[in-house]
Amino acid sequence: MKRALVSLLFGFVSAFGVAANPAVIRVGVSTGASGSPATFGGAATAIAQQRGVLEAAFKPDGIRVEWVFFKGAGPAANEALASKQLDFIWQGDLAAITGKAGGLNTRILLGDSRLAPSYLVVPAKSKAASLEDLKGRKFALFKGTTQQLTFNRIAAQRGLAERDFKTINMDGATTLAALAAGDIDGVYLPVNALQLQERGVVRVIEDTRRDPLVAAHTHLLVDAAFEQRHPQLVQKLVSALVANAAWTSDEANRQQVFTGWARAGVPVSAWQRDYQPDALKQRLTPLLDPFFYAHYRDAVRFARQFGLIRKDVDVDAWIAPQYLREALKAQKLERYWTPLAADGKGAA
Amino acid sequence: MSLTETLPVPALAAPAATPRLAQALAGLRSRVWRGALALILPLAVLALWHAATLNGWVAQQILPAPALVWTTLLDLWHSGELWTNLAISLTRVAWGFSAALVIGLALGVAMGLSKTAEAYLYPSFKAISEVPVLGWIPLLIMLVGIGEAMKILVIAKAAAVPITINTQQGIRNIPQPYLEVARVYRFNPRQLWLKVIFPSTLPSLFNGFRYGLTNAWLSLVTVELLASSEGIGYQMVWGRQLFQLDVVMACMLVIGLVGLAIDLFLQITETRLLRWRRAAF
Repeated sequence: MKRALVSLLFGFVSAFGVAANPAVIRVGVSTGASGSPATFGGAATAIAQQRGVLEAAFKPDGIRVEWVFFKGAGPAANEALASKQLDFIWQGDLAAITGKAGGLNTRILLGDSRLAPSYLVVPAKSKAASLEDLKGRKFALFKGTTQQLTFNRIAAQRGLAERDFKTINMDGATTLAALAAGDIDGVYLPVNALQLQERGVVRVIEDTRRDPLVAAHTHLLVDAAFEQRHPQLVQKLVSALVANAAWTSDEANRQQVFTGWARAGVPVSAWQRDYQPDALKQRLTPLLDPFFYAHYRDAVRFARQFGLIRKDVDVDAWIAPQYLREALKAQKLERYWTPLAADGKGAA
Repeated sequence: MSLTETLPVPALAAPAATPRLAQALAGLRSRVWRGALALILPLAVLALWHAATLNGWVAQQILPAPALVWTTLLDLWHSGELWTNLAISLTRVAWGFSAALVIGLALGVAMGLSKTAEAYLYPSFKAISEVPVLGWIPLLIMLVGIGEAMKILVIAKAAAVPITINTQQGIRNIPQPYLEVARVYRFNPRQLWLKVIFPSTLPSLFNGFRYGLTNAWLSLVTVELLASSEGIGYQMVWGRQLFQLDVVMACMLVIGLVGLAIDLFLQITETRLLRWRRAAF
């Protein structure tokens, strides 16, 4: 009720072209919360949440920051944004693309993480040694999320497709139960694969570490209506996140970053192995470089080809790099991260 | 009442000569009337829906326009996806419901007839039935895997609960005098079942069946969400995950209509059977 009144008031105010500051900025996180206090792992934004950098940045304006976690991942966050319950979303590439293709008016502001390896895991007792060995077998897929895109890309590289496997749609928690029961034959998992392997539940038989083209990206985006009303708040948020990304990318903080992420459940040891031999800077760059653009363009092409979206998405118009550029300049961080060329290998 | 006022002639024409025809006509008229009444609410909702999308009261991504949902429904129909998925879901419900019938009737009869059976079974039955399906699923995956067996068990559990309770209640509520009369006439067990127990528990049984089927149909979506790659519930979830809410709405329509059709079928069967019961008494 209160929120309805507040948004009514905002509608009224913005009709006269005066955008008063909102009382609260709502940031959606496209993964379920874990740990206490609630947090998540693997993202620069997660460290920002733990360090309270956005709260500190908006305190002088009297604006609260609310973090909203979605167990239903990116698709659920999209629905919340469509219903005007969120202003920003941290999410993966595919969910953002399905949202955009579905008509959500969003703008991508900055990158969050990239090049995260995916691990092909099989039940501990399985004899499979490669993806090819799993042809025709039961493969878990959380459809509509980045996981599906990763899987399709890897399969396509090997001349395979989803239909070569018996894919079963299931969410993360169910996947873990089914793996433990030995009832699915394979799945691509992020870092928690290493944790499960440590516990002896699964075996990791392949990973995508050396392949920038299949690794997922995460980013932060904004509701375009919010951006139009409050460009200065968007700038403030991006600047705070860029400063945080610089802190998070600093090797001096490596241990602290992993410890922070471990609060969400995946232990430090798994993060250490996941990041071996990568520098933090390589994976936690906020840059919207040629690699970022190429990756999203390619993801759109894939999503269209696999029937995941019914409309094209113009990636160039979707990304709003001006806030990031401004933040990098103001903080003299233009040369801190190395931009990558479109293939994700050489420097741009 | 305008319908009765516009059609008074046949009813008055030959009331004595063809009372059965008049009765049938009156029955038909009231059925048409009731059908028309049933349409008012959906039509009002449709109008509201149309207005909401036309005026942009809600995000079109969340509530797509009726026309778009209709087009999507037709697309799904023509591509054959709808039929394949619906057939798979109906098969699951049929199996689950059949299993529920066996379990529910057995438990209900046992607990209805015997206080001892009730003492043994009722607390466990109640405790199990109160736990949401979500809690059982990890255990079920361990026991039977994520294949069809798990789905059918989840559906069966959901449907068996109301069937059991209504069967038990039905038997409990058989008027004592009926049983006494049966005893006086020295009915054998077969007669007792066919002439007393079965007919007088029938309304309650059908209550159980109808609730059971509703539950079966509802839990179908839950289980297809968790682990499936086919079925109408899956198609709905898939639409949601890809942010294609028109697919979700089209599936909702189909699920609602099929549920309604099944319930209608049960209702008609019940009326038939009860007519027979009236004749028997």
